[in-house]
Amino acid sequence: MSAFVTVSQDDAVHRLKVANLSKSFGVARVLGGVELTIAPRELHGLVGQNGCGKSTLVKILTGVYTPDPGGSVTVDGQPLALPVHPLAARAAGLSVVHQNLGLVDDHSIWENVRLARYSAGRFSRRINVKEEKRQVALALARLGLEYDLDEKVGALAAEDRAAVAIARAIQDHQDGGGLIIFDESTRALSRRGRARFFGLVRQVIDGGASVLMISHQLEEVVEATDRVTVLRDGEVVEGGITTSETDAAALTRLMLGRHVITHGRIGSHARDSLAVSVNGLAARSVSGFDLDLKKGEIVGFTGLAGSGAVAAAEAIGGAREARGGSMTVGGTTLRLTSKRGSTEDFIRAGVAFVAERRLEQGLAAGLSVSHNLTLPRVRSRGSVLRIGRSWQAAETAAMIKKLDVRPPDPDALVGNLSGGNQQKVLLGKWLAGKPSVLVLHEPTQAVDVGARHDIIEAIREAAHEGAGVIISSVDAGDLAVLCDRVLVFRGGRVTAELTGDLSPDDIIHATFEAAGPQRSAAELTRKGVDR
Amino acid sequence: MTDTAQQATPAPAAPPLPKRKLPIPLQHAGSRYAVIGVWAALIVVYWVTEPSLFMTVPSFQTIFGSQQPLVFMTAALLCTIIVGEFVDLSVPAVYGFAATILPVLVVNHGWPVWAAAIAAVLCAVAIGCVNGFLVVKVGVNTVVVTLGVWTLLDGIAQLISSDNTISGLPSSFSKIALTQVGGLPISFYYGVALMAGFAYVLWFTPLGRHMRFVGASREVSRLSGVRVDRIRFGSFVVAGLLAGAGAVIATAAVGSYNTASTDPNLLPVFAAVFLGTAIIEPGRFNPIGTFIGLYFLETGIFGLQLHGLQNWVTDVFYGGVLVIAVTISTLLHRRTS
Repeated sequence: MSAFVTVSQDDAVHRLKVANLSKSFGVARVLGGVELTIAPRELHGLVGQNGCGKSTLVKILTGVYTPDPGGSVTVDGQPLALPVHPLAARAAGLSVVHQNLGLVDDHSIWENVRLARYSAGRFSRRINVKEEKRQVALALARLGLEYDLDEKVGALAAEDRAAVAIARAIQDHQDGGGLIIFDESTRALSRRGRARFFGLVRQVIDGGASVLMISHQLEEVVEATDRVTVLRDGEVVEGGITTSETDAAALTRLMLGRHVITHGRIGSHARDSLAVSVNGLAARSVSGFDLDLKKGEIVGFTGLAGSGAVAAAEAIGGAREARGGSMTVGGTTLRLTSKRGSTEDFIRAGVAFVAERRLEQGLAAGLSVSHNLTLPRVRSRGSVLRIGRSWQAAETAAMIKKLDVRPPDPDALVGNLSGGNQQKVLLGKWLAGKPSVLVLHEPTQAVDVGARHDIIEAIREAAHEGAGVIISSVDAGDLAVLCDRVLVFRGGRVTAELTGDLSPDDIIHATFEAAGPQRSAAELTRKGVDR
Repeated sequence: MTDTAQQATPAPAAPPLPKRKLPIPLQHAGSRYAVIGVWAALIVVYWVTEPSLFMTVPSFQTIFGSQQPLVFMTAALLCTIIVGEFVDLSVPAVYGFAATILPVLVVNHGWPVWAAAIAAVLCAVAIGCVNGFLVVKVGVNTVVVTLGVWTLLDGIAQLISSDNTISGLPSSFSKIALTQVGGLPISFYYGVALMAGFAYVLWFTPLGRHMRFVGASREVSRLSGVRVDRIRFGSFVVAGLLAGAGAVIATAAVGSYNTASTDPNLLPVFAAVFLGTAIIEPGRFNPIGTFIGLYFLETGIFGLQLHGLQNWVTDVFYGGVLVIAVTISTLLHRRTS
């Protein structure tokens, strides 16, 4: 820190100071008065659920979004003009390593590192390759690395690619200055790769820079960072907790927030007869998975990314082709391995799959609520020559009422609804078919408290009417209030089955204990692809 | 209308608006008929400026009696563009190919005209199958496949016709196109029936609903039990069928075909299909809008030609309208998403 000059004002002790930063899209406020300070040579973690505002914050810092007036961003005591201009951010030493690293595979290391920085000869406008390579070698040397600079990036191992991305990020840093934001950059790395990655990050910090690390891997955040900030619903819940005084479970509770437990548990609706029986399911990491699900029973699948919980739920829902296995639903036996050109046979057997990504997998944004809601049944309830209007109108009206969709307009375009109402339409699309097996993937993700309440009530009602329900979720709060039992997955196997009176804490502990520090390298490499 | 309604609380839900027939978003009520308004204005302008020539029965017979080939080709393009294949460039070439082999088989090879007509349509269907196979099953880019097929077919058509106009179809065969009904050739009514049928399929049948959803999102459709690839493949096949049938009817009317008249169809087809997205169902490809767009374009060009403007007018008008129509359609689409 010796390279640091005089500290004349308070701000100057911070490498980055974000004050009162807000961002609204129309009426929706996605960031509200965010405060964040990062000291020189600090490794600062930023965690939060999907949709909590992490990526919005990064996009403001990199100039993609213009923040609402009133906020400020200060680097080393110098205020940055808002909206942030990318070149100003670079000059101030702010750089980002994105999730996919932002590398162009079929270009060489030096071309990737110098991308958008090429200097050209004054008259010839040719790139001065020698000088470029010297700069790249210099940046790599700061990390203690040496590569053949002409090698194509695509040929490198994942951790070497990460190293190239880091070299690119630090090349503009002044000695003893700079801040790198890592936005989920470790997703593609193996366990060994991660160790090396964090070695490089340490080196960056020893060189005087600071790091803001955004990650879903809580244990990694706990292990590596100095302090951590938790975002929830666009607001800072805890700013800069010293990491040594917390753990992954405590952070999860902060991320989810106590407010999620708005429901009491109610008695099970499980009956004696079976809704579905799954035999020998094999998909992704999962193998030999069996399940007997009773009518009216609600079972939760949970686990960290890559654990197989999602893969199992998707295979049962018919969304993913499995390697092996079959299942029996109400007398129909379905092969889980058949090619999934369409889920027609699953739907006919009474299986409904409520997908996680509602606008990519669940609903067509440009079409109406009514059309989206009735889509799975237009063939079975209509004739070849005519869909028929009355049942569509009745079904849509019933679901709009049951789930309290707003506005209650069957002809509204789905894309014009709020996220919570879209989720309700998606749920209604499948509930209206009265499924005997209902598979839901993150049913309350990124919806507000009110919508969550309606969704939970509707799921309970479906169980009460006799559907067997599977909920694949990482939201311990949801699982605790809804499920009769929760299966915790790890490495493709069920490592714990929780029954009885469930609490979110138990589920979180089981998830993290099952995963623990001894997670296998293979498991970690799968994460990027498995979700 | 049975179980779902009863299972929800007995109180009758908000009246489910059965009166409105067409599934059209309300918010564009104004823009929906804007092009029709412009069309009417255009007619008034020509009426005032060329009263003796424009507002006459023969003029209207020319405008409405001449567009059958384009109606069939736009319907073929709509098939694939509605299910989300961005542009099938081969439509006019498939049309031209079928229109070439019909007289070639009859005149040069002595086939019976009906057999030749069926062979021409089957050829067009087969080409649709090839397009569909390459795009849907193999996954080759639509533009590349259809660009190649377009050029390939043009070449073969020139070869088998020796680059000449092949004429000499029996005049009795022309009845299938030229029989007069109410002052217009029956081929006009084929076009009306085709587009009306197409619109019916899209609005009222499960197949049409599935097509719309496949065009909007393949993954959403797949997870909703729609056989996505079958619908995409089928669209290419039907597109071939429509282009082939259109070619047979048009060739019957004229009695001959020259391969040089194939390619000039490309721009009007695209201009009408994209202009159609600004009519009736704003932001969406739709048959009725396309049909109206087609006659709008023809009216505009016919009027300009009456004013003594030459052939370049056609290119300027079609090209200009295509760009403007796509711009409008993009803006409408942005407003809804």
